[in-house]
This record gives sequence, C-alpha cells and structure tokens, in this order.
Amino acid sequence: MSDFRPILRPALATKKAVASAALKLSPLPEGTILHVLARSGEQDIVPLLDSLAKPAAHAVRPVSPGQWFIVHEEPMHHKEMKSLFAALEPRATGVDQSHGRVRIRIEGKMASRALSKGTAVDLDPSAFPIGQSAVTLIGHIAAHLTRVAPEAFEIIVLRGFAESLWDDLARMSLEYI
Amino acid sequence: MASLVPCPHCGQRPKEEFTIKGAALTRPAAGAEAADWFDYVYLRDNPRGAYEEYWHHTSGCRRWIVVTRDTVTHDVAASRDAADRARSEART
Ligand SMILES: [Zn+2]
Repeated sequence: MSDFRPILRPALATKKAVASAALKLSPLPEGTILHVLARSGEQDIVPLLDSLAKPAAHAVRPVSPGQWFIVHEEPMHHKEMKSLFAALEPRATGVDQSHGRVRIRIEGKMASRALSKGTAVDLDPSAFPIGQSAVTLIGHIAAHLTRVAPEAFEIIVLRGFAESLWDDLARMSLEYI
Repeated sequence: MASLVPCPHCGQRPKEEFTIKGAALTRPAAGAEAADWFDYVYLRDNPRGAYEEYWHHTSGCRRWIVVTRDTVTHDVAASRDAADRARSEART
C-alpha cells in the first residue's frame, strides 16, 4: 500500500487576501455543489428544483440547457444528498461536485470592471441582473459566473483551475487595490 | 476578442469560447455506399459565401450549434442548437 495520503485542504487556503474599498476577492466555503442534468425532453424541471432546494435554503444556478448547479454554504450529509438525488429521478440526475469545483466571490464597485477584462459577457446590471448566471471564459479558464448582489459575483470553477483563476483575478484587480 | 458568434442559448460570445468542427453535412444512412461515406468523411466544398458549420460552445453551455455563416464577410445569418436542427430535419 502506498504511503501517500491525500489530505483534503481548501483549494485556495494558501492565497493571500485581495481586498480594498473598491474590490474584494474571497474564497467561498467549500460546502456543497451538486450538478443536476435533466433527461432529454425534460427541459422544465425548475419548479421541481425550486421545491427541493428552497426549503433547505440551497441556491439553484442555471448552467446550460437542462443543467443546473445546486449550491449551499455547508457540506451536505450523505443521507440528505441521497434523498435529494432520489427525488430528482427519473426526470433528472444529480452528481456531487462539492470537491470537484470551487467557489470564489468577487465584490465591490470595481468588481464588474475587473471581471470585464476577462470575459465578453455584458455585466451591466440591465443585461446581467441579480440571479443571472453564465458559463464563460475568464481569460483562458472556463468558469460559471452569477451576480449574487448588485456589486457581487460568485464564480464556480473546476478545482484544478481554481488557483490559476484566483491568480488571474488578483492580477486583474491590481489597479483597484 | 475579434469575431463574435451568436449562441442560441448564451448570446453573442467571442469565437475563443468555441471549437469549430467544420461543415454541417447530412450524415448518410448506415447502409449507404462506401463512396457516399468517403464523400461525407473526407470531401469538402470550401465554398466562398454561405456555409453551415458545426460549432461547439466548449467554454460556455457546451452545446453543439449549427451556424450559418458567410465565409467572406463573417456575417452570421442563423444559429441553431444542433439537436433542434436534427429534429426539424427528421420531420421533413
Ligand atoms: Zn452557448
């Protein structure tokens, strides 16, 4: 047996804080991220997702046609996840991505200016209001972007890219710090 | 970021978010002649003007789309989800 023991540590634990009055970058707690994929022909399962997520205060984020993320700050117990996945069937399938993806928050009055250096998505509040999500390139890294408050965005990125994206965002933010 | 490609799901996005797969041709029937398959797999017209292409929105919604594009002007006349195109073809 190998002596190697994988240690679970937050992907962005070693990153230095990036914060000023105009912009703040922070790693979000590595709680729960569930990827939901609807079966073909089952495009409108939003009411089902809302009914499952809302009572537990989980957020539902659209990803692409027939796909969503269910997001929660806290880790979800195995039992709760199992029953949630069971409730999705047979219309959709859930996949636990809690350790596979990492969330980053970027906020402040210069947050959208900094993000606009990396993505072509129009981040004006009229085109990208609170609750709106988009999957897009930020620089060279694909990420899922959601406006969660008037001046705050949540970014969901694959874990292996999280440090690179953080470093890119930190560099994009330098002039506002 | 130069060329913008309209995704039916995501809106205008830079071409860097996409992967181009080439001409959107109609696939021959499974039992078609070898010559038809050879044509489908290897031969392309490379037209000057209107062209239907498969694009994959790799760094976006990850859907295959069919873009009707002018190879001279890059004017995009239409952009559809490949599944919708397949469904409308199956009906005709
Ligand atoms: Zn798209």
